[in-house]
Amino acid sequence: MNSHLVWYGELTTLRRLLRRGLYFAAPGMIWILLFLALPSLLLIVVSFTTRGAYGQIEWTFTLENFKRLCGFGLYGWSADYFIILFRSVHVAFWTTLICILLSYPLCFYIANKPERSRYFWLTLIIIPFWTNLVIRAYAWLLVLAPQLPLARIANALGLIPEGTPLYPSSFAVYLGMVATFLPFVALPLYSSVEKLDWALVEAANDLYAGKIRVFLHAIWPQTVPGISVGITLTFIPAMGMFVVPDFLGGAKYMLVGNLIQQQFGTSRDWPFGAAVSLALMVLTLVALQLQRKRGKKVEPI
Amino acid sequence: MRKLLMALALVLLAANLAFAANKEMRLFIWSEYMPEDFVPNFEKQTGIKVRVDYYESMEEMIAKLQAGGVSQYDVVVPSDYVIPTMVKLDLLAVLDQSKLPNMKNLAPIFVNPPYDPGNKYTAAYQWGTLGMMYKKDKVPGNPPSWAVMFDESKQLGPFVLIDSTREMLGCALAYMGKDVNTTDKKDLDELAALMLKVKKSKYFQGFEVGTGARSKVVAGAAIAAIVYNGDGLRAVAEDKTSAFANPAEGTVMWVDNMCIPKKAPNPEAAYKFINYVLDAKTGAALSNWTQYPTPNKAAMAFINPEDLKNPAIYPSDAYMKKLQFLRDLGKDTRLYDELWTMIKTR
Amino acid sequence: MRRFHWLVPLTALGALAFLYVPLMAVAVFSVNNSRFGLSWQGFTLKWYAKLFANEQILEAAWNTLVLATVSTVIATVIGTILAIGLDRYPWPKRLFSALDINLHLPVVTPEIVFAAALAVAFGVLRLVFSIFEPGLLNMIIGHITFQVSFVALVVRARLEAISKDYEEAARDLYADNAYLLRRVMLPLLKPGIVGGAMLAFTLSLDDFVVSFFTAGPTSVTLPLYIYAIVRRGVTPEIHALSTLALTATVVLVMLSERFTRKQNKE
Repeated sequence: MNSHLVWYGELTTLRRLLRRGLYFAAPGMIWILLFLALPSLLLIVVSFTTRGAYGQIEWTFTLENFKRLCGFGLYGWSADYFIILFRSVHVAFWTTLICILLSYPLCFYIANKPERSRYFWLTLIIIPFWTNLVIRAYAWLLVLAPQLPLARIANALGLIPEGTPLYPSSFAVYLGMVATFLPFVALPLYSSVEKLDWALVEAANDLYAGKIRVFLHAIWPQTVPGISVGITLTFIPAMGMFVVPDFLGGAKYMLVGNLIQQQFGTSRDWPFGAAVSLALMVLTLVALQLQRKRGKKVEPI
Repeated sequence: MRKLLMALALVLLAANLAFAANKEMRLFIWSEYMPEDFVPNFEKQTGIKVRVDYYESMEEMIAKLQAGGVSQYDVVVPSDYVIPTMVKLDLLAVLDQSKLPNMKNLAPIFVNPPYDPGNKYTAAYQWGTLGMMYKKDKVPGNPPSWAVMFDESKQLGPFVLIDSTREMLGCALAYMGKDVNTTDKKDLDELAALMLKVKKSKYFQGFEVGTGARSKVVAGAAIAAIVYNGDGLRAVAEDKTSAFANPAEGTVMWVDNMCIPKKAPNPEAAYKFINYVLDAKTGAALSNWTQYPTPNKAAMAFINPEDLKNPAIYPSDAYMKKLQFLRDLGKDTRLYDELWTMIKTR
Repeated sequence: MRRFHWLVPLTALGALAFLYVPLMAVAVFSVNNSRFGLSWQGFTLKWYAKLFANEQILEAAWNTLVLATVSTVIATVIGTILAIGLDRYPWPKRLFSALDINLHLPVVTPEIVFAAALAVAFGVLRLVFSIFEPGLLNMIIGHITFQVSFVALVVRARLEAISKDYEEAARDLYADNAYLLRRVMLPLLKPGIVGGAMLAFTLSLDDFVVSFFTAGPTSVTLPLYIYAIVRRGVTPEIHALSTLALTATVVLVMLSERFTRKQNKE
């Protein structure tokens, strides 16, 4: 351990090197530990406490919150919370899938443009990416209003009564979610598509492969790094999203993000909110593990 | 290095600015509850700067206070039914009556009220009811019935309910003809079934706060909404196609009060503000704008005569019998809280 | 150029339209002369004028900027040295993967779980130190926590791209640690640091969830303000505000594109 080594041109001991490294890495590591890891542990502890009669935290430990999560409430058993958790995963899954389906054509289209105008098209995707989420969500309230074409068409088709907007509804939530996350998938995917080796595609075509096989064997494997970044940036945040369901789903389509926010807000039931957060954390870890198993590395842009 | 120092200086400057605003009075109140010149007049009279923050429901307010607001606001305006809870949670300061000479202006029934014996913590601000704001040409009846929202066979168009636990459930209980403070399990089960059925209706547009719901009716996105009577009357004055009324079956009555949080940063300014509101002329100016009935006996002399005759503001004696106060239920509040979560999540 | 099936450009342009229709709608209605309701009633700029007279909005804008700037500065410093510390030192394998997991925690934790955990943590801390009232300090701490990871990851990507040669050459020329850091590594890392800082800045400007759970009465930010108003009933001033925010974003994106293009040429 005390033998000398050469590291980046420097002759020193391992111990001295690591000590210096500690000075560099410690502030960041300690910060994250203090303000993320420890609070999360505290959250787990709180999920075992009881809510006092007036909304305070009472430090008596109980499994009550988890029982409630499994559906055993004051009004009999119901699968409400399982439904919400399942619905959140469901929405996240379909959002990610639709975003991927829309992103491929988008990226091909842009990659195909002459080099000069590519920046322009990329900027078009980047701008919504950087625009505030709250603004993009409430903008949909405008587009789905009763007086505007979309709602009128739905009314004409007999889907909704006259004079009602297209929200709150699951349709509106999906619209909002896909619109929110599309840039998150398109941008990482683009970096892969840009480096695509079209020779492979042409080779596949020359060998008389059908369109789908061309895609699966020549295109998909090359874009896997980009897609996996896109999935990480979309699926996990989508599960915990609450602004979009709050505006566009209202009380009719509740997701786990809204549930947690409600417990920490008007319901003043922090222990239960902590329990739901724990459930969401577990779901997230499962999702991450599944991704890791399929051999993709978790790395943002 | 220099850049680092500049950055540090910027940090300190920003921090200083953020923490510097201390000589002000912080008011935490319902949105749209004061005329535009109300606070500026106070600022001019006393020279104290006022910062106003808004909430849209009692639950939201208590949550904010519990999460640290108790030492960040000087005056807060809760409704009667949460006062006992707030006292138990140790959120309110005992009022020093010697600093509030205008307390004598309050009408007798607001002095020593049942939710706060001896006015230890509160001074009444406005009182009022929850009623229905609706489009005149779409909703029949004078006054209309709650059924246009709660009865499937009588729903005539999109409607909005109010996003406030006790108040919303209270209106539903009033429609069912029951006690708004019931803890009877059978009643609550019936209430749950009713609310869930209403939620499934294709005309149901969601739960909104009072002011949001009113905006929806004015914009034409809903034909009926539950709003507070003052909010409704102010909107109706500008929009001739809408009307406001306390529905036929009866409804919930409330009293809002001014209180001082336990750890208020500037209680002296708080007392000045409460005294300012309790003044006869100011109280009348307040009610004339908000269109809520005033608890201030001395102010009655200055209220608009048309308001005094308006049954939506000052209900007739016969209707007063149909009004119910919400009461704090102590440990049983849990029943309503879980019911509400269930209604919202299913 | 490659010829694609006609579905490809159709879907691509459709997707872009999908992204922009809501934003265009907001811009259109920000100049509509009608307070409630959505019928076109003439062009007007009065909502923009009202915006600048609204003290609350100006204060929210100021808070947003202050919050973003302060947290970005601190996070960039911490994140950069974190990246250097992790990448340029021979950590033993097990320790390194623990540190790496710690680094990635803010990125993979759902924002709402993180915000809830912060709310609980500050609630407990408040019992001991009264400085942790909901407010700017809490918000800054929350923002820095997730910004540090993003900055570190961006800088680390850049670090991995810089070859060892520069540092070895510097050492051969008898450079000491401070000199190496100041005159060799930091300049080489500049694009990464600036990229990380810009990312952190935008993340803070746009942040809603963490701010929502940690804000106090004097520290409302623009996203929080807009959220509160939307709940009460959208007003055209909000459309005007949003259109301005959108314009600011467009300008910022174009500036940053120009900047990175210049960097790439170097």
